[in-house]
Amino acid sequence: MYKTNLTHYVAYYFDELIVSEIRKKNEGALRELYKTHYPMIVNLVCTNSGSEQEAKDIYQEAIMAFYDRAQQADFILTCKIKTYLYAVCRRLWLKRLHAKKRFHGSIEETESFLGVDQEVASAEEKEKQFDSMEDALNKLGEPCRSIIEDFYIHDLSMETIREKFGYTNADNAKNQKYKCLQRLKKLFFDGYKEIE
Amino acid sequence: MIAEQDLLDRYAKGTLAASEAAALEARMQQDKEFKERVEKHLALVKALKFYGERSAVLKTLDEAHREIEMPVKTLPLDTPTGWKRYWMTAVAASVALISILGTLFMTRSLDTKQTAIYKELGRKVEQIRKSQKLMMEDMAEVKEKPNPRPESFAGTGFLISSGGYVATSYHVIRESDSVIIENAKFGALKASVIFSDPANDVSILKIEKRPDEMAQPLPFTLSKVEASLAEDVYTLGYPREDIVFGEGSVSALTGFKQNPNAYQVSVPVNPGNSGGPLLNTRGDLVGVISGLQTETLGAAFAIKSTVLVDVINQVSVDSASLPLVLPKQNAFKNSSRVQQVKRWQDFVFVVKVYKN
Repeated sequence: MYKTNLTHYVAYYFDELIVSEIRKKNEGALRELYKTHYPMIVNLVCTNSGSEQEAKDIYQEAIMAFYDRAQQADFILTCKIKTYLYAVCRRLWLKRLHAKKRFHGSIEETESFLGVDQEVASAEEKEKQFDSMEDALNKLGEPCRSIIEDFYIHDLSMETIREKFGYTNADNAKNQKYKCLQRLKKLFFDGYKEIE
Repeated sequence: MIAEQDLLDRYAKGTLAASEAAALEARMQQDKEFKERVEKHLALVKALKFYGERSAVLKTLDEAHREIEMPVKTLPLDTPTGWKRYWMTAVAASVALISILGTLFMTRSLDTKQTAIYKELGRKVEQIRKSQKLMMEDMAEVKEKPNPRPESFAGTGFLISSGGYVATSYHVIRESDSVIIENAKFGALKASVIFSDPANDVSILKIEKRPDEMAQPLPFTLSKVEASLAEDVYTLGYPREDIVFGEGSVSALTGFKQNPNAYQVSVPVNPGNSGGPLLNTRGDLVGVISGLQTETLGAAFAIKSTVLVDVINQVSVDSASLPLVLPKQNAFKNSSRVQQVKRWQDFVFVVKVYKN
């Protein structure tokens, strides 16, 4: 009795700790979380006509959804992280199977976890956004991609970028960045529309 | 346009001075196109930020995944050089040698074990062969016993007269001290030999104290004509404790060594059948079983009933005793064989002979 209680509390505090650390964007905590529940999802997918690669894909998607959710200011942990991940993964996997025409049941009827629908929908929306940006950046090519990433993502100054890419003056660098962003704008919004 | 982008970049990053930001927002209120451009720029920057964050997280996840998979660090093996290489070869060679020798040793030990079993088996087979031979010899001896005159202490006899006279084979009662006849109906009765014809192998016995139930006339006759070749015949006898029925047909009208007083019959007989009645389909007596020929299969001999009648006629009966009157009428000639046998078995006795 004592032991079960202890493990229960340990699990509870583990979850709390993970959430607070993830909110601080602690990579180590995220890695721990990832490693803790991965076997469960591998089991879920592999025992339901899936491969380990597919398990990895949906697990990462679910972890990302949880990560995004944890970043929200109003986030409260209403269930164990394990339960959340399992429910989301299950839903995602059923959807994949449905797409592959290997699952003919109704997905809605098989889900009892409240709110998982929204979770999956927002996770998928973000995934789509991410994929379209990745797609656009891939099409953009070098050195534009690096310049854009350095300036907008890594917040490097134009002076650092000028040095890094060997432009003789700041205007050249600015001109290059301008052209690159214009192209990316076109690629991203066109591609995004295509997906929609 | 480059200047505008620069402005928007600084606006997105929040590094714009308060006055500049106010001016920009005021322009957005007036210029719809400009507002659209600003919003698009902000959306793009936001998407880029999102992408950056997400790819960083994904990178972390991939790292974690690699940690799960735990790629086993394979240390490159140093290829052994010089004597080390030969030493390893030597080890490998000795391992091979030991296993070969071990296998050989084990198989050989198995071999010897199998030979031992085989020898034992062989002895057993030898024993079996011996005992088989003994058994064969025993059987051969038994086969020799039922010669034409089997020396048996027991035989068969049958009633020929309601006066208590019984016919049997001479060789059954030969050299006897006392004779007891027995069957299911009358039980054991003491009998005495009143006449013997060794030449024809026939003897007549008289029951000393005839039971009263025996007084009624016998339902069969003693055939005074010779049986025909191929006539169906059957016999009843006591080759063992119980009465045994056997059937066949008349194979020849002469007996052993062309004996004209006997028939050859194809009726299965055994020691103990001697003295038994040979009956035809009417249930009449046609002969007395006397013996069989050892060399010929299924060849038994029976003294003809005509001879038996002749012998009976020679018997001089004491006038004080019951007369030896032969039955005159066949009462069951039209009955089935089963019915005939049912009646006949009451008149057939096992003859037990006690000798000194």
